[in-house]
Amino acid sequence: MTTEPVGLSVNLPSQRVMQARVGDADIAVWRGVSGKLSAWLNRCPHRGMRLSHGFVRGESLACLYHGWHYGSDGVCNYIPAHPDLEPPGTIQTTVFSIIDQDGVLWVSVDGAAGGQDLPGDSKPVRSITFSCSAKAAKDALIGSSVADGSGGELSIHDIAEGSNRLEFKSANGLNSVVVLLQQPSDQSMIAHILAAGDWSVDGMIGISRWSETVRRQAERTKNVPNSDCQDEL
Amino acid sequence: MSFRLYNYVLSGNCYKVRLFASLLGVSYESIAVDFHPGQEHKGEKLLQISPAETLPIMLADDMVLTETSAMLGWMASKFDAGKNWWPVNEPTKITLIIQWLGFASDLTLTIGEARLHSMLNRDVDVDRALAGGKRALRLLEARLTEQSLRGSQWLVGENPTIADIACFPYAALAPDAGLEHDDYPVIRNWLYAIRSLDGFVTMPGIHEVHKLRDTENTL
Ligand SMILES: N[C@@H](CCC(=O)N[C@@H](CS)C(=O)NCC(=O)O)C(=O)O
Ligand code: FES
Repeated sequence: MTTEPVGLSVNLPSQRVMQARVGDADIAVWRGVSGKLSAWLNRCPHRGMRLSHGFVRGESLACLYHGWHYGSDGVCNYIPAHPDLEPPGTIQTTVFSIIDQDGVLWVSVDGAAGGQDLPGDSKPVRSITFSCSAKAAKDALIGSSVADGSGGELSIHDIAEGSNRLEFKSANGLNSVVVLLQQPSDQSMIAHILAAGDWSVDGMIGISRWSETVRRQAERTKNVPNSDCQDEL
Repeated sequence: MSFRLYNYVLSGNCYKVRLFASLLGVSYESIAVDFHPGQEHKGEKLLQISPAETLPIMLADDMVLTETSAMLGWMASKFDAGKNWWPVNEPTKITLIIQWLGFASDLTLTIGEARLHSMLNRDVDVDRALAGGKRALRLLEARLTEQSLRGSQWLVGENPTIADIACFPYAALAPDAGLEHDDYPVIRNWLYAIRSLDGFVTMPGIHEVHKLRDTENTL
């Protein structure tokens, strides 16, 4: 299992929690008040509540169910029903590796997360979920080109073998759109989209609308069997 | 008394009015109606007031209102001296607000219906309601994405308006209907922004932003 992109950094401000999926693992991703990131198995060690429903207090995540607090090391540091008790250090969440690289959050469930370098001035556009197989989504993306908002087009530039990254470039090579693919299940695909180069607000909005056009196309070809696309990613 | 509201605590539409009144700091008279299981909104006593068979009903300035869009518009016109929530002097904004008020009714008819099914076991076409709800959430996510690229976290313009209030309850209650927020990062940020407004009040299924407190024992 390699590192997967799970979201855009802008979409997870400090003191917030979200859910993500990497391979078979359901994961809670959160940011402390200082901005520090954590990624844990989405299961409270107490009674199994999904930690992504919890809330951040300072540098701890509190479970919504009985309010047990876990510090960024994953160790339980407070149990509201026993406020004077120092919880035993053995109560801890399963901690995964997460990094924020060039505005993208990357999680690995086995070993250290390694992100990908993006063009220096990459700006986040959006994360968009496709309800279709990875193959249908990828085919629709590869088969399309992005309008640059002033009459030009960005065409597909780079699809490394087995890669979860697509890059579209303008003819002069100055503008690019990077699409990082995450596959949360057999029947869904998330595209994390960033734009690099010289983009106006309308140009960025154009990229967002392009992603919806591609999604409509991909979802029309929904019934593509799924087994072969798994390896492809 | 500013107005009278025939009210049901679990109704997302009644909550629009309670929430907006609280944000504006307006007090009102609330009459609790036994919507479920009593079906009091279909009883003769309430039908005499409004034959629409829906909640909420608002009595305001000699009017009997049954559309929450009208209620929100009336409250803003009456109590928001700054004209921020319903900017009558800005044609483009009010036009877009009306657009999103209409969209809020679609949320009631899709997510609201699916929620009636999952919570009260109401006999509805659940697949249709859920498909419509997903389509609506995608439209909302797309709009809020474009707004955020323009630098705003609100549906119309740079400030919260009655459009945000109208769309908030059923977007927030989507998980009750079986539609999680996981796939909608920008909707999540917008829900959080509304929950952070001064004067925000909760309803069952929509809780407040947990703020840091001096003592954690209140949990
Ligand atoms: N047109 C009204 C509709 C309000 C509405 O649908 N209310 C629901 C409760 S949230 C209702 O009374 N439904 C009638 C019923 O389910 O019997 C509006 O949009 O404000
Ligand atoms: S399940 Fe998390 S605190 Fe009890």
